[in-house]
Amino acid sequence: MTSRQQGRRAVVTGLGVVAPNGVGADAFWKATRQGVSVLDRISREGCTELPLRIAGQVQDFEPQSAIDNRYLVQTDRFTHYAMAAADLAVADAGFRPDAEQPFAVGVVTAAGSGGGEFGQRELQQLWGQGPKFVGPYQSIAWFYAASTGQISIRGGYKGPCGVVASDEAGGLDALAHAARAIGRGTDAVVAGAAEAPLAPYSMVCQLGYPEVSLAERAEEAYLPFTAKACGFAPAEGGAMLLLEDEQAALRRGANVRAHLAGHGATFTGASRWEESRDGLAAAIRIALDEARIAPEEVDVVFADALGVPAADRAEALALADAFGPAAERVPVTAPKTGTGRAYCGAPLLDVTAAVLAMEDGVLPPTPNVTEVCHDLALVTGRARPAELHTALVLSRGLMGSNSALVLRRGERP
Amino acid sequence: MSNTLSYPELAALLQARAGVSVEPSALEQPGAQFDEFGVDSLGLLGIVGELENRHGLKVTSGAESAKSPAEFLELVNASLSAKAGA
Repeated sequence: MTSRQQGRRAVVTGLGVVAPNGVGADAFWKATRQGVSVLDRISREGCTELPLRIAGQVQDFEPQSAIDNRYLVQTDRFTHYAMAAADLAVADAGFRPDAEQPFAVGVVTAAGSGGGEFGQRELQQLWGQGPKFVGPYQSIAWFYAASTGQISIRGGYKGPCGVVASDEAGGLDALAHAARAIGRGTDAVVAGAAEAPLAPYSMVCQLGYPEVSLAERAEEAYLPFTAKACGFAPAEGGAMLLLEDEQAALRRGANVRAHLAGHGATFTGASRWEESRDGLAAAIRIALDEARIAPEEVDVVFADALGVPAADRAEALALADAFGPAAERVPVTAPKTGTGRAYCGAPLLDVTAAVLAMEDGVLPPTPNVTEVCHDLALVTGRARPAELHTALVLSRGLMGSNSALVLRRGERP
Repeated sequence: MSNTLSYPELAALLQARAGVSVEPSALEQPGAQFDEFGVDSLGLLGIVGELENRHGLKVTSGAESAKSPAEFLELVNASLSAKAGA
């Protein structure tokens, strides 16, 4: 994307996933391609008696086997996921940081809710036993910035670090922020988002969102773009990517998986879904302009797909506004209907799926969704083979942020 | 529990509060520093809090920024014996 130093371009070289449908990019992609839905009754302790029943829970993840205990005691689950995903991304990229160049690697994450589970435990100590029983790690573990800080400390990444708090769409904004750091001269940035909103306190907070689905049955909980749309099912997890300057990546012989070609972000106000039409359309235009591509060149759109009728309508219209006649042809998909929306982690899972879809030449489907009631070429049922060069990922947040990110496939090695 | 803090007890507290596994004998080595075991000041602060809650006393301020296990034990045990003598 736009860079201050000529010729520097941010590319994706590594993918690290901790998702409800799989840990690791391979497991995640296999389930995503197959259109498996893992939405289910929430089983976590303290969460089973609330009216919010259905979500995507991360399975098969043992923090103790992924993360040194020293980091576990001072971090919340959202940071456990982010640290594990960061490790996976760096390993996937075959990246070995140069110990002599600690400032060459930065970290950027986005977070929507921080460490609710850790915070609840310490606040219960506060009210149950008194201030002296609150552990000092409460001062850092709940905080939005915790994952960036701990990934930086653990990996010895002392380059530009940042945290984006711009709502769910912040997941895409974090990648754009990282790309700007690369443009200014940093060779590599570990960037992404992971969330852990399935804990009692965090769940109760979400009950205040009118957009959250209170459906009782998993297959009915999250059906965007249909007449049965009744909100969204939340999820936990997310993904971290290794982004590198293209030349730096090529110098070390890395596989350039995709380019971050363009990004646009707008704000239209909390839960003002009708207005999000113009905001999202503007974000798409800004992103396409930056990528210097025409709407006809977009091969697949990963939709925000909120599952709220007014929001779904606004998204379909935004695509029509930004794409013109091309909107009727471009395939649209929303694999997140099979996992739920992991807040800031959700667009990261979509970016990861987009990179893998372009590599594999496959359009992943939208699980559970069959009859679409908007003018969209939504991929339903089974995955479809397709030659994909360019993907557009869309994300909106409940508080009014709208973002669009254009990815272009890397050259085949 | 005795009224002084021993190296094995400190090792157990480091494990529980700071997530750091370290042998008592390593803590006891002359010149041993918390840094080399990966113990940070927030970890020590948590241990101070635990000791204060357990013994119902105030540990001499500065213990949480002790650089070595020997220095930490000295400060904590001075507080414990001051209370015992009071």
